[in-house]
Amino acid sequence: MTADFPRLLAALCTGAVEFVVIGGFAATAHGSAHVTADLDIVYRRTPENIERLAAALAPLQPYLRGAPPGLPFRFDADTIRCGLNFTLATLAGDLDVLGEATGEGTFEALVARSEARRMFDLDVRFVDLDTLIRLKRAAGRPKDLERIAELEAIREEREK
Amino acid sequence: MMLDTVSIEPSAVIDAYKKDVDRTLIRENLKLTAEERVRKMMAVLHFADEVRRSAKVAG
Repeated sequence: MTADFPRLLAALCTGAVEFVVIGGFAATAHGSAHVTADLDIVYRRTPENIERLAAALAPLQPYLRGAPPGLPFRFDADTIRCGLNFTLATLAGDLDVLGEATGEGTFEALVARSEARRMFDLDVRFVDLDTLIRLKRAAGRPKDLERIAELEAIREEREK
Repeated sequence: MMLDTVSIEPSAVIDAYKKDVDRTLIRENLKLTAEERVRKMMAVLHFADEVRRSAKVAG
């Protein structure tokens, strides 16, 4: 299923969730030509924001991606408090909800390195390009090498 | 590992991959707004979905 990115972002923004977009979707916003099928966000781990996150996503019926159907899983505030990072399937597509990205990428660390972009009539915060490159490098996954090369090429093209 | 300690200095490995990056595509994308870039990617995803659906129907 193709992610309905506007619907996912609208749920989070109208629910007043504090989050920063990272990953492939952020790369696309910065100019990447790669295609990504999911949305990756880092959310703020405060009790209030956890409540807002759970409430915002509830209508989208989040469930653990790849898990067998019928598990007694509820994406509520208690679950979020007890966990940290969740890979979810929702009615609007796949969503990775991260309390922390590799490289100590907490919300507080990333929001200071983010920029707001107007998109689908929403103000969405994305990590800046250098931070996205750092996050990809910190993850150290061989599959990211091609992505990092493209992001660095974007930076070079911007600086021309 | 703190983000600040992660180097973004040139790397020989990444530079090797950089040779294959399509800069024409990047230059075209940089002319667009962030929303336009996302809409373009969504169009590709919808096209891929359609192809998959058609293949299922035909198969």
